[in-house]
Amino acid sequence: MDSINVHSLLFLLFAAVACAFAVAVVVTSNVVRMAFYLVVSLGATAGLYFLAGADFVGAMQLMIYVGGTLVLLVFGVMLTAQGPFISMRTRAGEWIIAAVVGSSLLGLLLSTAFRVDAWKPPAEAREQTASVTSSRLGGGLLGYRVDRMEQAAAEQADPTLAKNSQGMSGYLMPFEVISVHLLVVLIAAAYLARPKKRVGPREA
Amino acid sequence: MNLLTEPIGISHYLAVGAVMFVAGAVCMATKRNALGILMGIELVLNGANVNFVAFSSEYLRSGPRASLGLDGQLIALFVIVLAAAEAAVALAIALNFYNNHATIDVDRADDLKG
Amino acid sequence: MDLASTLPTLLGAAWLLPLASFVIVWLFGPRLGHAGKHAGYVATGAILGSFVLALIALLSWTGKHGVFVEAHHDESHAGAPTAPPRSESSPSKSPVQFRLVAAAAEGEHADYAHYDHEGKAYYTGDWYTLAKFGKLQLTIGYYIDSLTVVMFCMVTLIASCIHFYAQGYMHDELHDVEDHEVTLSDGHHLHRRGRYHRFFQYLSLFCFSMLGVVLSGNMAMTFVFWELVGVCSYFLIGFYIERKSASTAANKAFIVNRVGDFGMLIGMMALWSSLGTFNFGDMAVEDAASGETRSQAGIFSQVRPGPSHELVVPEGMKQAAAATGSEDTERCGYWLLVIAGVGIFCGCVGKSAQFPLHTWLPDAMEGPTPVSALVHSATMVAAGVYLAGRFYPVFAPEALLVIAVIGCITLFIAATIAITAVDIKRVLAYSTVSQLGYMMFALGVGGWVAGMMHLVTHAFFKSLLFMCSGSVIHAVHTNDMTKMGGLRKKMPWTAYTMLVGCLAIAGAGIPFLVGFSGYYSKDAIIAQAIAYKEVNPLWGVTLFVAAGGAATTAFYMFRLWYMTFSGQPRDAHKYDHAHESPKVMYYPLVVLSVFAIAVAWPITIVGDAAEGSPLVHLLNQAVPDGVGSMEGAVRGTLAASVAIPSEHASHVDAIHSAATMLAFSTALGGFLLATLFYGWKYLDPAEVRNQFPQVYRFLWNKWWFDELYDALFVKPAHLLAAVAAWLDKNVLDRIIDGSAKVTLVASRYDDWFDRLFVDGLVNWFGRWTYGVGLAFRRLQTGSVRQYAMFVVLGTVVLFFLLSLFLGTAVGR
Repeated sequence: MDSINVHSLLFLLFAAVACAFAVAVVVTSNVVRMAFYLVVSLGATAGLYFLAGADFVGAMQLMIYVGGTLVLLVFGVMLTAQGPFISMRTRAGEWIIAAVVGSSLLGLLLSTAFRVDAWKPPAEAREQTASVTSSRLGGGLLGYRVDRMEQAAAEQADPTLAKNSQGMSGYLMPFEVISVHLLVVLIAAAYLARPKKRVGPREA
Repeated sequence: MNLLTEPIGISHYLAVGAVMFVAGAVCMATKRNALGILMGIELVLNGANVNFVAFSSEYLRSGPRASLGLDGQLIALFVIVLAAAEAAVALAIALNFYNNHATIDVDRADDLKG
Repeated sequence: MDLASTLPTLLGAAWLLPLASFVIVWLFGPRLGHAGKHAGYVATGAILGSFVLALIALLSWTGKHGVFVEAHHDESHAGAPTAPPRSESSPSKSPVQFRLVAAAAEGEHADYAHYDHEGKAYYTGDWYTLAKFGKLQLTIGYYIDSLTVVMFCMVTLIASCIHFYAQGYMHDELHDVEDHEVTLSDGHHLHRRGRYHRFFQYLSLFCFSMLGVVLSGNMAMTFVFWELVGVCSYFLIGFYIERKSASTAANKAFIVNRVGDFGMLIGMMALWSSLGTFNFGDMAVEDAASGETRSQAGIFSQVRPGPSHELVVPEGMKQAAAATGSEDTERCGYWLLVIAGVGIFCGCVGKSAQFPLHTWLPDAMEGPTPVSALVHSATMVAAGVYLAGRFYPVFAPEALLVIAVIGCITLFIAATIAITAVDIKRVLAYSTVSQLGYMMFALGVGGWVAGMMHLVTHAFFKSLLFMCSGSVIHAVHTNDMTKMGGLRKKMPWTAYTMLVGCLAIAGAGIPFLVGFSGYYSKDAIIAQAIAYKEVNPLWGVTLFVAAGGAATTAFYMFRLWYMTFSGQPRDAHKYDHAHESPKVMYYPLVVLSVFAIAVAWPITIVGDAAEGSPLVHLLNQAVPDGVGSMEGAVRGTLAASVAIPSEHASHVDAIHSAATMLAFSTALGGFLLATLFYGWKYLDPAEVRNQFPQVYRFLWNKWWFDELYDALFVKPAHLLAAVAAWLDKNVLDRIIDGSAKVTLVASRYDDWFDRLFVDGLVNWFGRWTYGVGLAFRRLQTGSVRQYAMFVVLGTVVLFFLLSLFLGTAVGR
């Protein structure tokens, strides 16, 4: 009997929370509760990110998702949560269909996940070398890839390898595009959500 | 096979991602509330994100190097940003719909149905 | 005065004036005055203008060429005050209007070229070239000799008189007309609008066409106007188109004429294809290569080349004969010449109502009387004779024999039919046919001048007679002589002018001294016939037929006069209503009777010593080259027994006095017989009728010609048509119906097939597509949630399929 692997323990904990609350989101019919369960589920997912060594992504998950997006959703829920809309029943037939299709998809995904050898757990846990700064990711966005240093050196030594350069490929352009995209989305959201000038029955 | 003593692999993460993904999908299929559908979308996106992060992790693999490296994390970041943007626009649409139809039931949103 | 340019101008203007009138009346007819009354003035003015121009042309002709031509006495003209300057006689004075003077003029005759008996003066040229196809040249040209001028004067004078007369006669047409001879299906008489202007419109067109025939300088133009004349005749006969008899008569006239024209076309083709020209006379032609003007030989000078002007077979005909591979080109070419002559004569037979084709003319009397007077007695029917005279140089002796025989038969048949006719206009119509036969006979026996002279004199007295009969009809409103009688007292002007006409046509006169115009012309014909008999004992029997015809003519003409004007009125009612015609109608009668008396009088003008009448001498100037100038007779090549005597032979005293006696005695005999029957009532015509019923019926039925033609042509044609109709109905229609039925059945099956398979396939495909679309439409639920479900399901299926086909490869 080996000693309990803390990393695995934490993973199981977070995974159970995330999965349980995700299912809870599905099961509950009250939209306010759904929002709360979602927050818990996403927060647990952030824990999973930390466990996977993606500190910055986990932080962003907490900040943007849990802190931003879900607050936005809760706002929406609160704005529309009036009497009949809080809890809307769905017909049983749809539930059955959704359950059948969903379970088949789940079975498919799970069987795939556990069938690939490369995805199997390593023989022993690796030493967690913390690199808590986000500078790796920032460099990666700009094209400075810490994780691809050997490849870049090989390309420099042999230019023929640079044809499909895997070494120093960054995400500067997508980053710029997505920032403009965000701006557009914010303007659009503000436009769509602005109060309409009603040409309603009052004037008619 | 003891989950508590063995190290965690990509497969486990993928299982979690799968559960979240399916939960999101079923959520989209069964909720009549527009916001519920939005939440289902968030779940689906998160399930995908979990997979990305798992593939980019250096600790979960038996091999020498992560298959995606930093790329997985970067894409996960992009997904998060897109999800935020999507949530903003979707919420605006939902509110608009609510304003115009005085309901949030997506089944009533069938104006374009032939 | 240069006749070469003035004559064509004058006559051309005279020719075109009626055309102008026609166009004006045609365009503005009903608007000219009240109900088109002024149309009559327009037409009359036009034809009167033509007459004046023609008269000027005649005067200038006589001024230039004199009147008297005595072929054998050149010196007799030395003192003529109107003798022309000799210098102008030189040919090729102008390139277009080329004046040809007898080529035979040589030696001491050179200065007297116009008067040389071997040549004659004429002017020919083209005004306008319509078309040119290789050798073929279609032109509007003129050919003017003294015959042309005389014909112009005659036609325009008579036409003028008739235009005046018609203004009175057609007066009824000025207002609405109720035609009592047409009964409509509802029992009423036809009521129609007056057609006064249209009548004058046709008259003008007719005058234009007739003058065109006279003036024409080539065969093609002649043919065109020939047909135009026929068309006018058709219009005018059918003027009362609503009457069935009138429309039938118009059709008959037109169709019968076509038969003759067919022969004429053959003659024209024979001439043109062998001679290569349509022109009558020699034309000046601009030679394209050298630029010189040279003379292109016309038909006449090709057939009778100078200087002898004997009839020869032209080179062209020999070549045509050689082209057929004939051994004896001379003989074969001569045959072609005879065929050409007989062909041309066929046209004349149709137009002049000669023996086989004479039946249309009496029926043509359905037209208004002025039309009968102008078209069907004086001018149009005379056009046939005129054409025969114009083509005289082309006729070989054999062709002339045909002409003589045809003319002789015609004159006899028509004269006998006229004896029994009671319709006043039909008597005159048969008389016309008979007299036309006389003219043809005269031409056939070699009497060119005699025939042409009879043409002119006959035109005057026959138009006079017709107009008198029209006046009578106008007064009593019937054509039937058995309902007339005693009208002399009621309408003296008409009666006595008609008596003049009768005397003229009978050839009355004091022998060897003076007589009516018919006396001279008929004398000349009989004289020529005697001369013909002397050289042709076999064919000379025609003389007796001619003499008998002359007697018959006198008989039926006086029968007509007596029945109409003398004795007691047979129909008191009609007699009471009879009245003298208005002045506008009988003044022309007086004018014409003066001409009927005096047109052939041998008046001596300006002291010239020549014998004979100016008319004869004028016509003598136009005698075709080589005709009547030869001593002795011309013999035929194919039939040597046929000989044509020279016209001078008949001028011998012995022959001439014999002819005068013969003509006078026959005419007197006819006159006396008529007087016995109808004047003194000494003999009863009914008695004779009962004595010879077969003969009477034979004559009454016009020798059964109409019945014969009915049986020979009309019935077979009807039978053929009936057979064709039966075939059409029972065979062709059946076949067509059958094929239609087969087609119908086939198309039914086709339709069924189409509906079931072709349409079915398409419809099935359409329905299927529609159904599938409907089914898929149900997928488009519009429900977001279901879409999400579909996405998931799709993913699952995709994975399933992938794993199924890629199998374990993914797993590894």
